[in-house]
Amino acid sequence: MTDIKDKKPILQLVGVRKTFNDFAAVEKIDLDIFEGEFFTIVGPSGSGKTTMLRMLAGMEAPSEGNITLHGERINDVPANKRPTCLVFQSLALFPHMSVGQNIEFPLKIKGVDAATRKARALELMAIVRLPASYYGKNVMKCSGGERQRVALARALAYDPEVLFFDEPLSAIDYKLKKILEKELKDLHRETGKTFIYITHSLEEAMVMSDRIGVMRAGRLIQVGTPEEIYAAPVDRFVSEFVGEVNVIELKREGEGWRGVNLPGAFRAAPPKDAPQADSTFVVVRPEFMRFLNDGEEADNTLEGVVYNEYSLGSRIQYQVRVGDKVMLVELSRSNALPAAANRNVRLGWDVRDAISVKA
Amino acid sequence: MEQDKLRTRVFIALWSAFVVLLVYLPLACVALASVSKGRYFAFPIRAFSWEWWEKTTDSIEISMIVENSLLVAAVVTVFSVVIAFFGALAFARYDWKGRKLYQKLILLPVFFPQPVLGLALLLAYSALGITTSWMTAVFAHMVWIVPVVTLVIAIKVYGFDPSLEEAAFDLGASRVEVMTNVTLPLLWPGIWSGALFAFLLSWGNFPLSLYTAGADSTVPKWLYAKMVAGYSPMVPALGTMATLAAAAVLLGGALLGAIVKKARAA
Repeated sequence: MTDIKDKKPILQLVGVRKTFNDFAAVEKIDLDIFEGEFFTIVGPSGSGKTTMLRMLAGMEAPSEGNITLHGERINDVPANKRPTCLVFQSLALFPHMSVGQNIEFPLKIKGVDAATRKARALELMAIVRLPASYYGKNVMKCSGGERQRVALARALAYDPEVLFFDEPLSAIDYKLKKILEKELKDLHRETGKTFIYITHSLEEAMVMSDRIGVMRAGRLIQVGTPEEIYAAPVDRFVSEFVGEVNVIELKREGEGWRGVNLPGAFRAAPPKDAPQADSTFVVVRPEFMRFLNDGEEADNTLEGVVYNEYSLGSRIQYQVRVGDKVMLVELSRSNALPAAANRNVRLGWDVRDAISVKA
Repeated sequence: MEQDKLRTRVFIALWSAFVVLLVYLPLACVALASVSKGRYFAFPIRAFSWEWWEKTTDSIEISMIVENSLLVAAVVTVFSVVIAFFGALAFARYDWKGRKLYQKLILLPVFFPQPVLGLALLLAYSALGITTSWMTAVFAHMVWIVPVVTLVIAIKVYGFDPSLEEAAFDLGASRVEVMTNVTLPLLWPGIWSGALFAFLLSWGNFPLSLYTAGADSTVPKWLYAKMVAGYSPMVPALGTMATLAAAAVLLGGALLGAIVKKARAA
């Protein structure tokens, strides 16, 4: 999906806040979620993302602010009256029901007759790639990946406009997770429904989402496409959340900048949203940090010693000790640094490859 | 090594047999006494007979007290299970102010000496001007049995994932539908064993019935009264029958539970 801006908002949050006793789990959130988009809320544990999801799903009521669905206030509409459905982290499959009975549950509640229910359940099982022979299988005898699919089919049986996911892939091994991520993305495209997904893994978010919202301490600190989040993180927290990065703290000195905990003068742009700031964090991704040959120059240079190298598959990461700081450099395997261990090196990066963020 | 293992196994077998003997020997003696022809129990038994069993089953008095006991146990079971079910949900599921205190208060009656509890209830009834009968005994039994059943059901509630209820609610079910489709079917084994406990504890209760059943007699009360005055082998006969009935209820209940579980799993 490319033009989300042309889409209508389906869910809107205006000044939403949630407090438990004196503790504010979610602080003043304004957010529009568009029809048919895959929106992921990312944040570390305790960032308020689960609380936010529970408010959207109707399991918690906001303490302040409004949540609207198609422009109508739904703050006090209970979960069973909302056209939304949540796939729980635990999946919450009913252990006393078979695969088929689980999937048919929302249809049974709606009063759909048994034959239609079964036909629909088998249809959904095909969509989530569960063999039809699983219809009567005890749900507790299914594997982790099969259970994911049952939970997904059950949610789809409810035919919600918005599907919520509360870290459903967190307990799945890496290989299966990659498969399920892809299937989820396919399912999103095929159903055209709005997906709101929460996770603590930005990697997961990057793979699947149209847009990502990064949460920290109850606040939504950045909302954007995966590319925007990656290329222009709004602060140090987001940049470090996106992946392993070099963060260099600088203080203004006359016309230029001086390193904090790192000797020398540096060239850097001021933070975009605070051009007058006295200090800045410069974020340099390991792939933009490079080893300099003799005589080769860059906007900024550092001297250090390589003390570790890691294989990242197609790339190699070098850890370079500079003073008492560690810098990361990543090279493709074909450009690997020969005899890297304990080698004295010169590192460099250019201003255009660095991102300055607020201190 | 092998010798040590063997010795350990022999010792375990002997010890288990000893404990089982210790527990069941008195019951076996009662059973023997009930099939002895003589009016007084003497060992070895000279002649066996079902005479006292027949007399017991034919007695109108005994069928009345058995009816009383059954009635009390049935009513106690129904009320205890309902009260304990919601009580267990309240204390195992929800976090509310005073929850810890409620937990302790509701468990306390289990540890009261039952005769004192019975006396206290009798005093309370007479202060309130209530005539004691099997109905007051029902209430007395519940004071002691509800906590036990609450505990039994709570164990099941603790192992119950509340997100199952949330999921059902989220999928469009009303509160009542959540209860009937998810909560009750999943807590059913706990409720069932709670009901068995309630029934059997009430069926066998003596001290509370003694104080609070008034003119109505129950099986344990009758056994005691006949031991004190007017002993006949009908006492061990009824005692044996009551014990066998309890065992049958327990085994039958467990069997039924297992059958239901198996039918569901299939």
